[in-house]
Amino acid sequence: MSQEQILSSDGIPLELSLKKAERKNKLRALLLVAPLFLFLLITYVFPIGDMLFRSVDDRMITQMLPNTFKSLEKWDGKELPGEETYEAFYKDFYPLAINKESGKLYQRLNYEKSGFSSGLKTTNRKIKNFEQGNYKEQFMKAHKIWKDVEYWTAMKNTAPNFSYAKYLKGFDLTFDQDRNIVRVDEDRRVHITLWLRTLKVAFWVTIFCFILAYPISHLLATLPMKYSNLLMICVLLPFWTSLLVRTSSWMVLLQQQGPINDLIVFLGLASDDNRPELMYNVIGTFVAMTQILLPFMVLPLYSVMKTISPSLMRAGKSLGGTPLVSFVKVYFPLTIPGIGAGCLLVFILSIGYYITPALVGGASGSLISNTIAYHMKSSLDWAFASALGTMLLVGVLTIYWIYNKLVGIDNIKLG
Amino acid sequence: MKKLSKLLLALSFVLSVATSAFAVTVVSWGGAYTESQKLGYGDPTAAKLGVPVDWVDYTGGLSEIKAQKEAGKITWDIMDVYARDTIIGCDEGIFHEFDFDKDFSPAPDGTPASEDFFTSMPSKCAVGNILYSWNYAYNKNNVKGTPSTMGDFFDTKKFPGKRAIYTGAMSNIEFAITADGVNPGKGSDLTYRKLMADGGIDRAMDKIKALCQDPNGGCVFWNAGAQPPELLANGEVVMATGWNGRFFNAQMEGTPIVQVWDAQILDYEYFALVKDGPNYANGDAMKVLREMTSTEGLAGSAKYIAYAPWRKSSIDIMLAGEPWFKDGKTNMVPHMPTAPANTKRYILMNPEFWADNNDEINEKWEAMKGTL
Repeated sequence: MSQEQILSSDGIPLELSLKKAERKNKLRALLLVAPLFLFLLITYVFPIGDMLFRSVDDRMITQMLPNTFKSLEKWDGKELPGEETYEAFYKDFYPLAINKESGKLYQRLNYEKSGFSSGLKTTNRKIKNFEQGNYKEQFMKAHKIWKDVEYWTAMKNTAPNFSYAKYLKGFDLTFDQDRNIVRVDEDRRVHITLWLRTLKVAFWVTIFCFILAYPISHLLATLPMKYSNLLMICVLLPFWTSLLVRTSSWMVLLQQQGPINDLIVFLGLASDDNRPELMYNVIGTFVAMTQILLPFMVLPLYSVMKTISPSLMRAGKSLGGTPLVSFVKVYFPLTIPGIGAGCLLVFILSIGYYITPALVGGASGSLISNTIAYHMKSSLDWAFASALGTMLLVGVLTIYWIYNKLVGIDNIKLG
Repeated sequence: MKKLSKLLLALSFVLSVATSAFAVTVVSWGGAYTESQKLGYGDPTAAKLGVPVDWVDYTGGLSEIKAQKEAGKITWDIMDVYARDTIIGCDEGIFHEFDFDKDFSPAPDGTPASEDFFTSMPSKCAVGNILYSWNYAYNKNNVKGTPSTMGDFFDTKKFPGKRAIYTGAMSNIEFAITADGVNPGKGSDLTYRKLMADGGIDRAMDKIKALCQDPNGGCVFWNAGAQPPELLANGEVVMATGWNGRFFNAQMEGTPIVQVWDAQILDYEYFALVKDGPNYANGDAMKVLREMTSTEGLAGSAKYIAYAPWRKSSIDIMLAGEPWFKDGKTNMVPHMPTAPANTKRYILMNPEFWADNNDEINEKWEAMKGTL
């Protein structure tokens, strides 16, 4: 308190002038970061935000059918709605049909229940000849979907402006007419299977990559420069080759009349007319994906092992440890940051893979990313594709979080 | 400074030329197919109208054009699409609705376009381009006997060995229900009526499941058109479903495979005009499309690939000009999916059925595949 303020030469307190100078530096630093920040914003935050928003946004249909939804609010969902609901739907649908704006409605409602598309289209053709009054009867005559309670239930389910129904669909769940969450029919439960299969493939590919990459990286890190450089190129060369080329090479190698099978027959491990199936099943997926993702495990492991001084192992041995004990107690713990980085990298990459498994995996080759691609490209149900994408993202973040809890994220090292 | 401004000016000029609405951009599937389109009618049209035609490859689906539309910058004029996509694109307002007989030229004898095409269009936004076929083929070196019906494809007692089938449900359930005893006749709607009946889909899927789980059979799923002839050639499978044009090309290259046309599925490929594309307002895109789908235009592409032109009058030109294939010695008409010998029994692809039920059937299909 009583301390005298230190003044700079121009009479301003030193503290203030220091802050002023620092502010300038801070601003300059911010400006330097700004391009990167903007880049991240535009290429990362906005698209992901858009994806999140799309997966829950369902306003289009609410705006197209306001009267219908208002009338459906009072509907109990047990039997077909009354005349006034049909009249409300007529009031909504007639102007859309006349102005040729009803197309988007077909698609949106057909995602909800198959058969809406052709039903609405037929109705669209016939609605121009409808007479005043008795709408229920006329609709039911126009197409059979209007005699089916399930179609009204499906329509009512689309009423909220924002809904998490697409996320439920991703777990094979749906709403029944009382808006309880129930499982979908047994022969349509496909997404849970796909999620589990995707996780299984990612898990095993990570394990195989680790088992193969650890000794390779150790060799790379300990060999003299002139051999290790050559080995390094062998690791990197496939890395620089196109993914499709590598996948199709595996298809050539693994096929029933291919060289690997020829070798197996030649060695007498199998008879010629009973060649083992190495492709179009999970074996093909594991083999091809492990080879393709191997460099992502080798490189972080190598860069961490490179920094471990060989004298540490020698010290361990000179303190009386057998080679195995000094490996387990000294060397292995030091490589954990590399193992973490490599495993996370390989796991996250393989969770999003789909071309390779689709080509060599046969019936087991369709993973969750194939479904996302299907809904992006073919069905144009971008909301569902976004929901699945978000679920995948949350899954990856969860793995990251678990890793952070178990190992600690500061313990990760790429080099 | 002056230099810089000159450079900027030049750069902006180059950019404006590159992006100006000049060449009409047509997107198609690439490979031998686009090659046949470019040589068959793309280049002749460009020469005749003086409007350059650019060919761009894509992998199907409407996601790119929808994204272009949402971004407000459409760069494609004409798209080569499946029937189902013309329906969805028409509903979503992506494609232009045609006034068919006014927009497309009549046959040389004056028959209006709508009567010259084999069947009507699945939507108002579609104009037919080629007819192709989903049929099956076998390698005659690996099969004892001669498979001749769709039933034989599912008959593992008579013809043991693995089969290659398409990775999606499309085509498979039609074939399966035919083999299960639903006679399609000449493209009657019985096939799809039976599939839509209660339990129809399950009936077809059970048939495929039985084939795939049969120790004498088994399935390989293909997803690229080049795979079926390849799988037959290297002995991976004994029979494969596939597209007739790919089988034909393999046969021309000397692969010992034989096509079976019984209960083939006649499917179509369409052109659609993108609404508000770069050459939409000035009418160039429409002019190019009209020229490409004329009688001579469509016949032109069949010189290079075994897909049938949609117009009846194009077949007449081909018959008069045989041998029509580019090698100058192969008669093309017998290899067309529409040839009388090949259409004794066939299924007509129903795009409306697939537009309605694709999502649901696909979920069931994947669930079924999961149990294999």
